[in-house]
Amino acid sequence: MPTATEVLYYAIHFGELRQIIQWQTWHDPVHNRDPEKEAPSLQICFDFLDKTSRSFSSVIQELHPELLVPVALFYLILRGLDTIEDDMTVSLKEKDPLLRQFYKNTEKEGWNYDGNGPNEKDRELLVQFQNVTEEFRKIKPVYRDIIKDITEKMGNGMADYCANAEHNANGVETIDDYDLYCHYVAGLVGNGLTRLFVESGLANQALLSRPQLQESMGLFLQKTNIIRDIKEDLDDKRRFWPKEIWSKHVDKFEDLFDPKNKEAALNCSSEMVLNSLEHADQCLFYLAGLKEQSVFNFAAIPQSMAIATLELVFRNPNIFKGNVKITKGEACRIMMQSTQNLQLVCEVFRQYTRKIHKKNTPRDPSFLKISIACGKIEQFIESIYPSQDPKKIIEAQGAPPPDPTPASEAEAKNKAMAEEAKWDTIYLLAAVLGTLFTISCLMIGTAWLFGARFDVALDQLSKGKLSKPTGDEAQSIIQKYDHGEL
Amino acid sequence: MDAIQEQHLEWSITVLDIVLPKAPRDNVVYEIGDVTNLKSVTAIIDRIKPKVIIHTAGLVPELAGRYGRKLKERVWDINVNGTRNMLSAAKKAGVEAFAAAEALVLSANTPLLSTCSLRPSVLFGPGDYQLIPPIHAMIPKRETNFIIGPGSNLWDVTYAPNIADAHILAVENLLSSSPTAAGEAIFISNEQPITFRDFCLAVWKEFGHIPKWEVHIPVSVANLAGWVAEWVTWVTGTPTTVSRGSVLDAVGTRYCSGEKARRLLGYKPRVGIEEGIRISCNVSTQ
Repeated sequence: MPTATEVLYYAIHFGELRQIIQWQTWHDPVHNRDPEKEAPSLQICFDFLDKTSRSFSSVIQELHPELLVPVALFYLILRGLDTIEDDMTVSLKEKDPLLRQFYKNTEKEGWNYDGNGPNEKDRELLVQFQNVTEEFRKIKPVYRDIIKDITEKMGNGMADYCANAEHNANGVETIDDYDLYCHYVAGLVGNGLTRLFVESGLANQALLSRPQLQESMGLFLQKTNIIRDIKEDLDDKRRFWPKEIWSKHVDKFEDLFDPKNKEAALNCSSEMVLNSLEHADQCLFYLAGLKEQSVFNFAAIPQSMAIATLELVFRNPNIFKGNVKITKGEACRIMMQSTQNLQLVCEVFRQYTRKIHKKNTPRDPSFLKISIACGKIEQFIESIYPSQDPKKIIEAQGAPPPDPTPASEAEAKNKAMAEEAKWDTIYLLAAVLGTLFTISCLMIGTAWLFGARFDVALDQLSKGKLSKPTGDEAQSIIQKYDHGEL
Repeated sequence: MDAIQEQHLEWSITVLDIVLPKAPRDNVVYEIGDVTNLKSVTAIIDRIKPKVIIHTAGLVPELAGRYGRKLKERVWDINVNGTRNMLSAAKKAGVEAFAAAEALVLSANTPLLSTCSLRPSVLFGPGDYQLIPPIHAMIPKRETNFIIGPGSNLWDVTYAPNIADAHILAVENLLSSSPTAAGEAIFISNEQPITFRDFCLAVWKEFGHIPKWEVHIPVSVANLAGWVAEWVTWVTGTPTTVSRGSVLDAVGTRYCSGEKARRLLGYKPRVGIEEGIRISCNVSTQ
């Protein structure tokens, strides 16, 4: 049920309401899962998917049947790993081997774990993890190996990070540390999913030889979420913004949240946004390598949401006060545009890049760098979908193909431009004169309707009487005209 | 010059210019000559017999005069005839490599004389007199609040010392055993396209100025103003800031691919645009 504030919001933002209705009416999943043919344990797995993931559940469930179950289990396994890492009630001594060995448990019949604290939100998933292991053993061995490999690497990375965080109250130190952390929790997922896509024949094999693109897909999402969630993470005593960045703007991490330091905090967040934005063009490049529609949707929706979120958090002081998120109406519009083709996704990226560019201010120390990053995204989109077609331009000009000597080419171009400018001017003048004429006609016509005597006025003017006659004089003049020279 | 002396101490340099510099450098011979005069150029080049010519003499009138009518002949004379004279003198004197700009040069490429042409984008740098100073001059004129068109057109402006690097790379390539750049026209830029507006904002910021508000002027209105100003110029003979050409400069998308320069010359802009603006503006302030 929608809340009262939601009802009020959409009563005012009618356009957004329209987007929600359109999405729910017209969105047609590429593939539908068929729960009736599923084993009970698999049904339980999908129930957990719904419970643990707000954003990924529906896109996963629309995936191509070949990848539906492997990707869903991949998600649940990583969610299980994450639940252990997140839980501050589990001691480091217990946590370390659990994280490092987790990949082995994924195939053990009946394996589950009930050591999580009672308040851990996805505790139940691990308590009933035997359903996941049961289904995991049924999927193709090649997929299983890929998922196990990523789980092992991620488990080791998380364990390293936990061990480090215990010694280090400052959280992430350098930008390199930040990239490494994001690599473990998100870059690896990009790598695993790419291998699954290519293995199933639903993506271009060339993606495998571009690890940088896979990495960017994960990092763009993770970094954007880290910027958005800064307040929530602070409340949970976690810090992911690297000290190398925030120490340039404030002395203590907590100072970011002090309204006194609003300008410094915003500049700091801009630098974080810049750091994330630099992955955006590579994400578009990656999406170009996906062949199958459902796989494309699965990968594209989160990326489009990320660029919209990045625009939302850019120079937004509210991120230091609480949760900010894109509205449901906006989300539906983005999903509509991201489930068709790359060109529309590029359009979403271009639109939000321009919004970011518009908010960018020279007061910000990262001003020029952000401008360059925005330019890079625009340039990339232009390179895959050029807005100009040289052949068409030449045809439109009615000129023969350009002469190799540049002088005549430039001349022809100049001529065409001069011609265009000339017509611009003529149209503009015609519009101005036309408007004046219409207004004059209206005014004169109204005056005439109310009985103005233009015949008298013109005649008097032609006799050289330019000043306005007084009331009495005017009456006598009119008398003369109406009754002749009496 | 800095770039050559820094990277190739072993090269001996002769500078041919129309006037002597105010501060001549060590280890450089200066010759006075006019590129528009074929005789004088041939005599000088015959005497020096250089192995390589880097031809950079050119005239781009500053903003106000660029689209005026007065300077047209002079620009043609220096940029076209000057280049023709230099080439013909170079051929007679047995020069091996020639790096400069455009068509005449490319058609002169032969096995004996390797030529290539570099197409730099708009340049700026320390001591530049035609980009940063007019942008700076807009601050006292209170013109910084006005944007022509939507202001989203990208524009790649190159830091001049990077172009010097490209010239040296071109010469090295032409003199090498496999001159892959011979007969080629190569785009040189900073490969960091930004909007023209942001470039201006960054320059103004260096001078401590940030516009408080912004107004967008439609392109058609600006064109009309330019058209009117051009006629005023024609009647009175005085140059104005606005013209249809300068409007086109302000709203046009101007960037190119740096792929060929990377592939053939191994060129990469050494100084980024942000640092370039900082250095250039500091020099201008002094």
